[in-house]
Amino acid sequence: MDKKLDASFERVEKALAVLIDSMTKFTPSEKAANDVVKAERDLFLGLEELEVHQRNVVRIKQLKQETEALDAQTKQTISALWEMRKELVAVAPTKFAPAKEEKYPFTTQQLLEYARRISRNTLPPPGVTNGVDLSTATPTTPDDQAGGGPDASFAASVGGGSGQGTAASTPAPGVQDSFVSQAPFQSQTGATELPVHLKPAVNPLENAPFFTFPTIDRIRSGALAQYQDLVNRGIDPKNYDPEEEERRLKQEEQDRKDAEERARQEREEQDRRMREERERMARERELARQQQQQEGGMDRRGSVLAPGQGGGQPSRSAPKQFTFLDEDDDDEDED
Amino acid sequence: MASEPMSVGSSAQDPPPVPDATSQEPKHGGHTRFELELEFVQALGNPEYVNYLASRKFLHNPAFVAYLDYLQYWTRPPFLQYITYPTSCLKMLELLQVERFRKDILSPNLTQALIMDGMKAAVEWHREG
Repeated sequence: MDKKLDASFERVEKALAVLIDSMTKFTPSEKAANDVVKAERDLFLGLEELEVHQRNVVRIKQLKQETEALDAQTKQTISALWEMRKELVAVAPTKFAPAKEEKYPFTTQQLLEYARRISRNTLPPPGVTNGVDLSTATPTTPDDQAGGGPDASFAASVGGGSGQGTAASTPAPGVQDSFVSQAPFQSQTGATELPVHLKPAVNPLENAPFFTFPTIDRIRSGALAQYQDLVNRGIDPKNYDPEEEERRLKQEEQDRKDAEERARQEREEQDRRMREERERMARERELARQQQQQEGGMDRRGSVLAPGQGGGQPSRSAPKQFTFLDEDDDDEDED
Repeated sequence: MASEPMSVGSSAQDPPPVPDATSQEPKHGGHTRFELELEFVQALGNPEYVNYLASRKFLHNPAFVAYLDYLQYWTRPPFLQYITYPTSCLKMLELLQVERFRKDILSPNLTQALIMDGMKAAVEWHREG
């Protein structure tokens, strides 16, 4: 660049010298003047080029500075990254209790069923306020409810002693506020709704408490209480099932009754057999006695009557007696 | 999973099996270990009950503290889905792991404050939602 400018200057000087020389000789040459103008134009062009050059140099310097700054930034970032990586590596990984953490996928249906199951214990029924004033826009602070009861001192200490408002005084403005705010609404909708001050009277859940945990009564009537009851009665609850026990007792009772019934039936059967036996023996004895009597009678008749008459009469009378005995025997069988 | 008898000396580190139609769990007083522990962990949600336990010095018994630690399996699936009082029960189970709380719950004031705050939170949570 310098050489180019030097050449331009030199050319200008030479042209100027030629012009001056020609002028001093009083022979001004137009060509020399044109040369000067031309050389000067070249010089200006060269100077403009120099300006551009210098601007470029400045720009290059700026760019170099920028590059250096960016280099520094890159280095800084990389070193920060390295530091961070080192720190990350140094952080001990959290160890979850079960090493093989299993995923338990569930469906929307299951989720909704669970929500339905727990909602009766997490969501108060409509109308239950638990003493919270629902008419105010913002939730009350814990010490707003600190009226009465053993929690008063606790709440006072928590709230720095400022929360001395009683619970009795808190709901009162709330009721009034709701009455005032709902009065215009009521007049617009017509007379289908009860007046606000009567609503609590028809709401069975008014002032009913809602707990998010099982009540003491429920705990006292639960399985653990039954367990404790068994322990108190001196029964080892292990492998003891009251229902099973009850079934077993009932079964034993039933078995006992069945056995008694069977024994009774057997006894009756035996009695019946003995009675029949006795009757049979009595009949046999009777029969034997009658036969004896008959034989004895025949002997006596045979001795009294003539042989011709005595053979006909007993043969006629004997069937009568047997017929009678047969009928008696039939009756017994029917029994 | 083999069921363990429910006593302090036994290795009660394994949670009881989740009941299904085919399980033949031994019963304790007519209830399975699963049922008893589920009922107990939910009863812990009642601050009055925890206060009662504290008054009977259960919460100072190392075996009982270990049992409370063991009961934390209810905070994980698949057992979590059986808890029907999740809000108070799980929080109380978490609090009971802290020794300071086990001492403080002996105070009737704290018990009452827990009850009142729980009642209010149940209503206010719903209102905010």
